[in-house]
Order: sequence, then structure tokens, then C-alpha cells
Amino acid sequence: MPIPFVFCSLLVGPSDLISARHIWEWVVNGIFQTGFSQSYDKELIEAVVLNTRLPRVILALLIGASLTASGTTLQALFRNPLVSPDILGLSSGAAFGAALAYVIPSLSVQPMAFLFGLMAAGLSYFLAVKNREVSTVSLILSGVIVSAVFTALLTILQFFADPFKLQTIIHWTMGNLHNASWSKVRSSAVLILMGCAWLFIIRWRMNVLALGEEETRVVGLNPRREKLLLLIPATLVASASVAVSGIIGMVGLAVPHMVRLMVGPDNTRTIPVSFAFGGSFLLVVDTLSRTMTSFEIPVGIFTTLIGGPFFVILLKRARLLPMSG
Amino acid sequence: MEINIKNLTFGYSGRPVLENVSIRIPERKLTVMIGKNGSGKSTLLKLIAGMYTPQKGSIEVLGKDLKRLSLSERARLIGFLTQSHNPVFPFTVEDVVLTGRASYIFSTPREIDRLESQRAISQMGIEELRTRPYSELSAGEQQLVMIARVLAQKARVLLLDEPTSHLDLPNQVRLLNIVKDLVASGLTVVLVIHDPNMGFMYGDDFIFMKNGSILQPSEEKEPYNSKLLSDVFGIEIKIASGDGKRWIIPGI
Repeated sequence: MPIPFVFCSLLVGPSDLISARHIWEWVVNGIFQTGFSQSYDKELIEAVVLNTRLPRVILALLIGASLTASGTTLQALFRNPLVSPDILGLSSGAAFGAALAYVIPSLSVQPMAFLFGLMAAGLSYFLAVKNREVSTVSLILSGVIVSAVFTALLTILQFFADPFKLQTIIHWTMGNLHNASWSKVRSSAVLILMGCAWLFIIRWRMNVLALGEEETRVVGLNPRREKLLLLIPATLVASASVAVSGIIGMVGLAVPHMVRLMVGPDNTRTIPVSFAFGGSFLLVVDTLSRTMTSFEIPVGIFTTLIGGPFFVILLKRARLLPMSG
Repeated sequence: MEINIKNLTFGYSGRPVLENVSIRIPERKLTVMIGKNGSGKSTLLKLIAGMYTPQKGSIEVLGKDLKRLSLSERARLIGFLTQSHNPVFPFTVEDVVLTGRASYIFSTPREIDRLESQRAISQMGIEELRTRPYSELSAGEQQLVMIARVLAQKARVLLLDEPTSHLDLPNQVRLLNIVKDLVASGLTVVLVIHDPNMGFMYGDDFIFMKNGSILQPSEEKEPYNSKLLSDVFGIEIKIASGDGKRWIIPGI
């Protein structure tokens, strides 16, 4: 599914010096070693396509896939169609953890993002639990509180950060792929692929868990263990994404619903489709964000502008009834 | 072998619900639990299902000590129909029934799991609902689906907590006939039911509960009498007979 989008995305960009025809010739020459006319600047093409656009395309695919799969998983395990990594505060927690590692060089970005992401998601859940029940509204409210706390902590970090780091942090918190590089692909790809593989293997168990804790226990699964088994990879992939791109809002909320509209709620189908469709979705939006105007708009702003109204529609349609935790 | 409960004590947050309960529930029979709301029926059923851990005493199911069984081993031995279920997402009936196979599945369902689910759906006579979203079914249809889910577990003991609630009379009869057939096929079934007449009509054996204790009939030759039932329900109960059957009537 994402392959045509990958080609289109590689072909377009703000550079006036290379055209789609140049790239095509470069690809053909590269593959077949032909002496096909070389009307292009090889070094320029390699710099633009290989070292700028390709890592960005790969990152967009990985991050779109992981945010969507994470959202699908969180919605199944919390039995709540209105949660996502950003609504639960997971993204803000991961962003704070990553920023802390930017400010304190002895800390490592990815583990800190994961640690604080997991802490934030767990905190939102435990704040919302009352008599082993978690209502839709209380989970969203506790997510809002946790998210606000970590955003405030991030602001404190920005306040104390030196001007050069401050600029990096601010640009990064907007949620964008502008600084995509092979080193960012390397730092996140292994974690994202590991987490996605884990989610893919145990995806059917989400169907069991989505029926409720008691219904899970009677058929022989320990609901708390299963929740943890799903929460860890869902946090891992979302926080690994936040660590390299900042908070790209609403992808984890809106896209899982689009996926369910396409293939139904059975997670044996929604998880693989989340990978493919989520990746393609972010790739298309990111390509638009960098080509629509003469200046680049951070993709996180685009996705939030699309996802915000979508969330309001969902909230209006949702049955705001208590659901078992 | 049977379900053997010895000196069972259990309570919620310091409030005792069952006190020193001992009882043997026969194998391959339909045992019906009868009692008022809050008498401890559902709690006893949940203890046998392993949903709660006893504070004192032991439970053996078909010769196996419940404490020594893992969750998946227990799910293969005991199927438990809970009272309420509300899936958030519109899973199809097929998907819901398939979750009954969880104790046999590591990653994704195999052909045998789909076959057993299909068999359970056919056994309940709900093939026409197979591809419909569970959340769009009537409460009665949902109940039939959840029983199919329990059957898909292929457990030897079925514990059904008020399976006839939400069902109209024809569906109550249909369901209890299915339960009777399951017992005839070799399963052991324990049922909690609110309508004692339905319970007496279908049951082979009865457990009467009051305030967390089990009441025994004063005369061994009959399973129940009006004195025992008046004590169980706390109101005057009369027994009428006709057409070879006995009916209980509240003395109002």
C-alpha cells in the first residue's frame, strides 16, 4: 500500500534544481548501470534524494505506523475509542523524557522517552480507576491532567535550556520531520520494528481484552498481565516516535478509527492495516506539509488541525458510559 | 468425581458473604442454585469459577484442586457465563465466540479454533447471527452468543450465572433445553436462576442458599418443601401440583 506514496514522495520537494525526470534517470542508471543520458547532477541528487528525502520518507512511514498501531492498541486495552498516545499524556511524558535527555547530555534520549511515556500512561490510568472501573470521561480528564503536568515540566526545561538547545527543543515539540536523518532512522527503527512485531504477534489478544477484564479472566488470560504485555510495546513505539519527531498529534486517535471503518474491529486485521495505512497517511500529510507552500509547515500542526475536529465528532457520538477497567 | 467444596469462607472487604460452606455437586447433572438476591449464589459460583480466591477452605473440581490450576488450565476445565458484558467495539458474533478459545491460542486462532467456535454457534442455533455485530443484538441474543462462547472453551463444567435473565419465555425454554442436552452429553452444569419453577422443572439437583449458608431439606426423600422454600425466600410459599408437576406459589 505505501509503495506508490513512497515513490511520489521521493519525487517531489522544494528543490528547483532536480526534476522527477532527473531522479528517474538516476534510478535507471543506478539499477541497470546503463549509459543513459546523464542530464542531472549526481551528487546533488544523492544529497537530496538519498540523504534528505529517503530518511524522511522512512521516518514518516515508521512514525505513522507506530502512532496508529499504538492508538489502536491503547483503545483496545483501555476499552475506550477516545484514547490515543497524546490524549493519555503518553506523548507529553515521552516528549519531556526526550527533552530532559537533550538538556542533560549524560542521559540517553530513547530510554528516557520510553520511561516517561510509560509513566505518563500508567499515571493516567491509575488516576482514572475507581472501584476497578474506568469511565471514558475520567480517563480523558486524567490524561489531560497528566499531559498538562508533563507539558509544564517541559516548559521549565525550556526555561533553563541554553538558547541553542532551546531552539532545537521548540522546533522539535511542534512535531515535525524537518530534521529527518539516517541517524534518526537508526535510533528509532529498531525500537519501532521490535514493538510493532510484538504487537503483530499478540494482536488477537486485544480482541479478548476489548470484551472486559472479567470476560478475559474467564477464558484463561490474566487481564493485568495482558494489559502490561500490550502497554509496553504500545508505549515503546509511540515514545520512540516522539523522541525523533516530537508530538505529531491526533494520528494515534483519528487513524485507528479510519482503519476500523475500513476493516472492522477485529485486531488481527486492524493492526497490520494500521501499519500500512498509518504509515501511508503520515507520509502523504508530511509530503503535503513540505510541498504545499514555499515554506515548510510542521506536520504535527497539519495532523492536529485534521484530527481536532475529528475528535470532537467522536466525542459527540460516543456513549459516555462507565466501562470496566 | 464431582465438585467438592469444603469449609469455604469468603467475604468482601471484611463483610462475610459465605461462611463455612461445604457441599458436593454431582458430576454430569444439572444443579440449580436457588436463593434470594444477596444470598451468596453468584459469589459461590464465582469462587468455583476461580474468579475469587477463598479466604478459607478448598474447592476441588472433577478431582483437581482449583488452587493448583493455572488460569488457562482452569478455563479448559470450567466455563463461566458472567452476568454482564458490554463490548465497546462492534465485534461480530463470530469474533466474540472465538475469544472463548483464548486458553488454546498463543498468537492467532488456528483452523481448529474456528471450527470449535463454529460448532458452538451451531449448537446454540444462532448461525444467522454469525456475521452480525454483537453490540447490535438484543439482550437475549447476546446471552445466547455468550453461552456459545462458553461452549467454545470445551470445558467439562459449565457455571451459568442467571443465563435466562433478559430472555423472553420461549427463549428461556429454548436455552434450558439446550442446557439439558449439554448435561445429557456428559457435561456438569451449575446454574443460578431467579425463577424457581423453571429451576425445578429442569434441575436434577438443587442448592438452596440463605445469608451465605446452604439450607438442607428437613426430609431427605424430597428435594424441597414449602417450609424450606419459605425459609429460603423469607415469604410464605405454597406448593401446588397438577399434570404430574409441582409448582411453587407465593402465599399472597
